[in-house]
Amino acid sequence: MLRVLLAKDLRRAWRNPWPWLLNLALPLCVTALVGLAFRGGGEGSGLGRIRFALVDEDDSPLTGFLRGATSQDRGGKYLEPVILDRAAALRQINDNQLSAVLIIPPGFTRHYLTGSQRVNLELIKNPAQSIHPAVLEELLGAVVTALNALSRNFQSEFPDWQAVFEGHRDYHQVAALIERAGRKLEAARQFVDPPLVSYEKPKPAKAAPAASGAGRSRPGPAFNLFAYLLIGMGGMFLLFLANNGMNDLHRELRLRTFDRYQSLRQDLWPFVAGKVLFTVVLLGFSALVLFGGGAVLFAIQWRHPLNLTLLTLAYAWFAAGLMAVLVALVPDERRANTLNSIGGMLLGLAGGCAFPTQQLPPLLRDHLSPLLPTFWFTESARALQAGDGHLAWAVGLLKLLVVSAVLIGLAAWLLRRRVTAGRRA
Amino acid sequence: MGLLRVEGLAKNFGAIRAVDIISFEVRAGEIYGLLGPNGAGKTTTISMISGLLKPDAGEVFVGGARFGSDPQQAKRHMGVVPQDLALYEELTGRENLEFWGRLAGLSAVEAKRRATELLEALALTERARDAVKTYSGGMKRRINLGCALLHRPPLLLLDEPTVGIDPQGRANILEFIGRLRTGGTGILYTTHYLEEAESLCHRIGIIDHGRLLAEGTLKELQERLGGDRVFVLEADFKDTSPEAWDGFHERFRVLQKSECQLVVAALGSRDPSACLKDLLNLPVRIANVMVKRPSLNDVFLQLTGRDLRE
Repeated sequence: MLRVLLAKDLRRAWRNPWPWLLNLALPLCVTALVGLAFRGGGEGSGLGRIRFALVDEDDSPLTGFLRGATSQDRGGKYLEPVILDRAAALRQINDNQLSAVLIIPPGFTRHYLTGSQRVNLELIKNPAQSIHPAVLEELLGAVVTALNALSRNFQSEFPDWQAVFEGHRDYHQVAALIERAGRKLEAARQFVDPPLVSYEKPKPAKAAPAASGAGRSRPGPAFNLFAYLLIGMGGMFLLFLANNGMNDLHRELRLRTFDRYQSLRQDLWPFVAGKVLFTVVLLGFSALVLFGGGAVLFAIQWRHPLNLTLLTLAYAWFAAGLMAVLVALVPDERRANTLNSIGGMLLGLAGGCAFPTQQLPPLLRDHLSPLLPTFWFTESARALQAGDGHLAWAVGLLKLLVVSAVLIGLAAWLLRRRVTAGRRA
Repeated sequence: MGLLRVEGLAKNFGAIRAVDIISFEVRAGEIYGLLGPNGAGKTTTISMISGLLKPDAGEVFVGGARFGSDPQQAKRHMGVVPQDLALYEELTGRENLEFWGRLAGLSAVEAKRRATELLEALALTERARDAVKTYSGGMKRRINLGCALLHRPPLLLLDEPTVGIDPQGRANILEFIGRLRTGGTGILYTTHYLEEAESLCHRIGIIDHGRLLAEGTLKELQERLGGDRVFVLEADFKDTSPEAWDGFHERFRVLQKSECQLVVAALGSRDPSACLKDLLNLPVRIANVMVKRPSLNDVFLQLTGRDLRE
């Protein structure tokens, strides 16, 4: 019986998929918009390589060395320097093809090594971009600091190095110079590696709702804003999708197909159970599209896919049960639709689907949010993704399942009561 | 023995008395028509018989057994065709039939086979694979009817099955219903179309304001008027009263009176020409007289004082 009812509803949804597709596309779009606005990728997935021009007007061996360093090793992973002359660089930045132009002025090496006059590096930032030029500015600041440190510690060696760059030293003298520099670096190493002064980002005191297991889990991908957002959006939009699925009960009442069912069958529970099952199946499929699609679109690596799947399925049962109760309580289809949407949005907002609950007013944050199933889902899923909460996700799962069972039972009872009393939509 | 027996059924919706203690019986191979205007209580009656509404009073017996003693068994005996199109418009005609067949307890194979038979009987085989939303009104009505017949119910409850369709579509459905009756199905048929009740039903119950005012065969109902002729007089009746006419009430029964029209039935078995002569001698200036066989509308007129078509 359930199979027949489920097949019928799935077929209907397949023939008229637009309400479902809309609710599936929206969270992906919102995640993309918010994620891209804040640039939240993990492991370099968000920023991408920063393309900038290096205009080397000095053209010395030292600047050649600096030029090469920007594209080597880790630098090459994040930076994409192009060597251009000033005119070409300015043309490209005007065309928004570059994030910035770094100009090494003529005589840079000579002035730096002799200390004969103050040297300046020129950075022209692209005003049409915000983040990449800022990153380059910070990087340049670090380079300048390093060059200043070098000049202070190696000033006595600089005349010899200048002679090397000008080609006035033979290999023996160069070798001796390198050896001396090596010794100085060796002596300085104890101050640099490990650094004498460092800082550590404090761990959050309350990694809610997880308590244990943090740090012992395998290292995973860095924080991915898209994953954080998508879990929240999923939590909220799965409620809307559940509303869409369970509101089909109203449509069946309106179309009198429910009456026809009742004229054939005395037992009501298969009809309600079939609708709940249909909603759960579609929510499961929708979650697969949302989170699977999110993984593809936003390069999210779900750290615990199995746990997340179980948690999502439990949440789907909860969402279907909640909407079934609301449908049973509100006999008018339009009113129910509006109320369910508002209810879903409020539950989502208070449960941390749209904003972190830490941003909510204290009354909500401390007393209401922790009681909400939306909170159990989003926080457990986010804790899983952050590598925390090995126990917390299971507790969240259990709570969701218990609440779902209560809600579905309540909905069946309410509908039976309503039908027996002869009230209809 | 009656396939369906209704005894003292009543239903209130708040202060409104929707059905007021009605009783009737539907036998095998018979079409029992429940005739009444919109809001008379026909749909409420069918809803109570099919278990959709709980009666406030009264009993329903299906196949001799009390409905409440085994509702599922009673439902197996009946097919219900609601007034509204209770169909899934996204599904095809065949899918609708097969789905309701499965719910009625048929196996997948049996449901498929019955769906094929019904599609053929309803002349819908060519459109079987099309979504119901693409069907015409008449075709939807036919599928709506077919969905109640998958499990071959001996009792069929039809709630105004021809509402809103063209004459051709109506004729097709009435013909199909006639064939079902020939096959031995007992049918409860509600309608507000006089012609359908007159041409289709073996016995007719006239219902208004929730009360069953009269029932019987068409002939029996016509005889309630006191004869087989009805006279429609057109004149100025504004300031006149038939009660004042000498001997009028011994010879005629007033069915309806308005300012310009008087409808009367002749009492006894007098010759129509003698009746006509009497009427022309009335103390009013008659502009026109029409003689006709009494219709169900005249019966309804006599029972309620108003026209069924109003």
